Amino acid sequence: MLQRLIDALGADAVKTEPEDLAVYSFDAYTDGRTPRAVVLPASTADVSAVVKIAAEYNEPVVPRGAGTGLCGGAVPVEGGIVLSFARMNRILELDTQRRRARVQPGVINLNLSAAASPHGLFYAPDPSSQKISTIGGNIATNAGGPHCLSYGTTVNHVIELEIVDDGGNVFTTSIDHPGYDLTAAFVGSEGTLGIVTSAWVRLMRAPEAVRVWLATFDDVESASDAVSAIIAAGIVPTALEMMDKVMAAAVEAAFHAGYPTDAGAVLLIEHAGFEDDMAHYESEIARIVREGGATTWRSARTEAERAALWAGRKGAAGAMGRISPNYYLQDVCVRRSTLPKALHAVEEIAREYRLTVANVFHAGDGNLHPMLCYDKRDPKQIQAVIESGNAILETAIALGGTVSGEHGIGYEKRDAMTHVYSTSDLATMARVRDVFDPSRRLNPEKIFPSGVRCPEVRPA
Amino acid sequence: MTVEQISELLAASNREGKAVVVTGGGTLSGMGRPPARSDVTLSTLTLDTIVEDAPSDLTIAVQSGVRIRTLAQRLQKHGTHVPFDAPHPADATVGGTLAAGWLGPRRHLYGRPRDFVIGSVAVLADGTIARAGGMVVKNVAGYDMSRLYVGSFGTLAVIAQINLKTAAAPDVTRGFQMRLPEGTRARALDLLTGLTVTPAAAFWIDGFKTAVDGEDGAEGRLFVLLEGSESVVDRGTRDLRAAMGRAGVPETRIVDAGARESFERIVDAYIACVGERSITYRIPAFTDDAISRVHGMRAIAARFELRTDALIDVMNGDIIFRVSDLDAHALGAKIEMFDDALHDEEPQALVIAGQHPSRALLAVWGCDTDGIDQMRALKEKFDPNRILNPGRFLAGI
Repeated sequence: MLQRLIDALGADAVKTEPEDLAVYSFDAYTDGRTPRAVVLPASTADVSAVVKIAAEYNEPVVPRGAGTGLCGGAVPVEGGIVLSFARMNRILELDTQRRRARVQPGVINLNLSAAASPHGLFYAPDPSSQKISTIGGNIATNAGGPHCLSYGTTVNHVIELEIVDDGGNVFTTSIDHPGYDLTAAFVGSEGTLGIVTSAWVRLMRAPEAVRVWLATFDDVESASDAVSAIIAAGIVPTALEMMDKVMAAAVEAAFHAGYPTDAGAVLLIEHAGFEDDMAHYESEIARIVREGGATTWRSARTEAERAALWAGRKGAAGAMGRISPNYYLQDVCVRRSTLPKALHAVEEIAREYRLTVANVFHAGDGNLHPMLCYDKRDPKQIQAVIESGNAILETAIALGGTVSGEHGIGYEKRDAMTHVYSTSDLATMARVRDVFDPSRRLNPEKIFPSGVRCPEVRPA
Repeated sequence: MTVEQISELLAASNREGKAVVVTGGGTLSGMGRPPARSDVTLSTLTLDTIVEDAPSDLTIAVQSGVRIRTLAQRLQKHGTHVPFDAPHPADATVGGTLAAGWLGPRRHLYGRPRDFVIGSVAVLADGTIARAGGMVVKNVAGYDMSRLYVGSFGTLAVIAQINLKTAAAPDVTRGFQMRLPEGTRARALDLLTGLTVTPAAAFWIDGFKTAVDGEDGAEGRLFVLLEGSESVVDRGTRDLRAAMGRAGVPETRIVDAGARESFERIVDAYIACVGERSITYRIPAFTDDAISRVHGMRAIAARFELRTDALIDVMNGDIIFRVSDLDAHALGAKIEMFDDALHDEEPQALVIAGQHPSRALLAVWGCDTDGIDQMRALKEKFDPNRILNPGRFLAGI
């Protein structure tokens, strides 16, 4: 098989040396199994050729973007061929008149916005990994980010997909064509239905006015009450991000973003739109957070101040190194009105397991990201992190929430799916898998619960 | 009717191989093909409960038979909306509008109806009750089944419940009408799409006289809708007037009263029929080529001596194109030939309305869709006995 791959793509596009393979055995979540080969296709035809060869040898195919996924989505759990899109990183068309772009899956998220920016346009989904994560990976996980609060997640921005199916055939889906919305089915399917080889995505016009405000509170409960109050007032800012005391202190120490270090919670609020509306929004939001017990309120006056406040938020994960050798980042989403309860529960869980927790999250969406601090050299701490992570999932489910807001299910959370969905619900999803990947060779052992092979997940 | 009763009905029909035709308000029955078989009619109109209204979460869950107007009135109390922009909202249901994949003219600004869907309860052909998503606004736990049912014309499952996120409704809605003399059109349309205060909707209308406003004129006319805060709409008004002046448009008149009603009449016109003697197409285009494509389609219609009405959704680029004749007989004699000729030029033209019996013989789904094999396979997995709305969808699905 390896020789066939080399014949098809050339020796420089096929990596089989152990040190190369090791690099592709894990993603940002955990390590998995070493693949048999890593291939670097340069075109749709290459991808098709690889998938056909893999089919002949019954080898799994695991597509991979930048490997920033946090749930093991790109881990080759059953070995096989890792398909890296590092060479398919071109913006194929930038149609500024019609505000859309056609990109290869390996294009780095931020590079697309950078290319669109001279034309007053931008690509809205902005996961925190956007400096390195790829559009293909973002499509696989239906990635969000701080600004999807008002702009929506990746699925709202994908127009058309070119897909290579499990047999190596190429077809396209489009939200502008009649028929089933296969585009929606593929976005967020984590590479289990087919392999995206190019995408038309929507570009948005850059807003004329952007304001960033910072409010601090004595504790996360009052801050999240304020978040709920803003949403309940019908105001959906472009971003509504929260950090707790632990996180804010770490960020301030690392980046000197200007966050007060004595606050129990920091709320970062951004609103973009028309200059005419900004005074109104500022006074309304300021009134709501003051009534909600805000202790300080600041408005970023300049572009530099805005950038500084955001730099702190975007660098939050990086600042974690100051307070802990390792951390585990959880991702759950709850109803926005239950945010105070959810945060309180997270705090209780951390206390019970004697772990330090740092919170930095998309408060406006109800999307929590507790970071549980631990030292991986201590097995007891690892166990405590696993158990508390599960307890947080259970809490979210009990509050009517879900086990992933934006990171995906991947390998890590597949067993939690049975807590959210019934057997019938999962079997319904499996019917879609049956159509596109009946042999379960495309990114196997992801999304669907372990122990039960998908074809067996069937209603009686 | 309850969800469990739908489940029992479908399971029994599935065992007996009976075709189940699913209907809502019936407003979009002119889209797609008529069902090929019909043994049982399942109306969702009794599924009319608002299951959960959570205004402080900006979410709401409704059964599929809830009317669009009923939902809008409920949301209005909270100052929120879900911009479906469906024709005849008093009759149209939430489930039917989503199942038909309706695309409204304000979607460029607020998003497509599907983008508001956060969860669903659906009943599959074998009676399986399947839930997907939930009441949270961000959710990547598993495949997005809810959006797969949107636009599936009830051929994969019966939508029983839909969970939606809502958005703050605009404070002010203002409408504008203007005449558009020949020579000003292309420039006017181009300037409209470049306005800083993006119009919520803009239509170039030529024809549709009785359906829209009783006005007509060879030169056609423009209707623009601005929405937002008062100050933004005021600013948009100034910018719009200035831009239209530059384009050579003689007068921009504010529709003082009833801007919303005017807008709704235009959306109703999308599917308005002239008795049994008209067929209406929807053609996805781009604003920059829509006018020339309308000219092309007019030329084809002229060859068959058909009357035409045209409407361009300027902000999204859609073309609504209606052909009609003196009577049903005259239309019947040429509509199939016209349909062939039209699809030679516009392979993506979809039939969206028409009561003429020949409608069923036309290429109502257009002839340019990739992924047909995959769609057929999906149907086979969800409804192997082909009992749900058989033949209603494209490719015989």
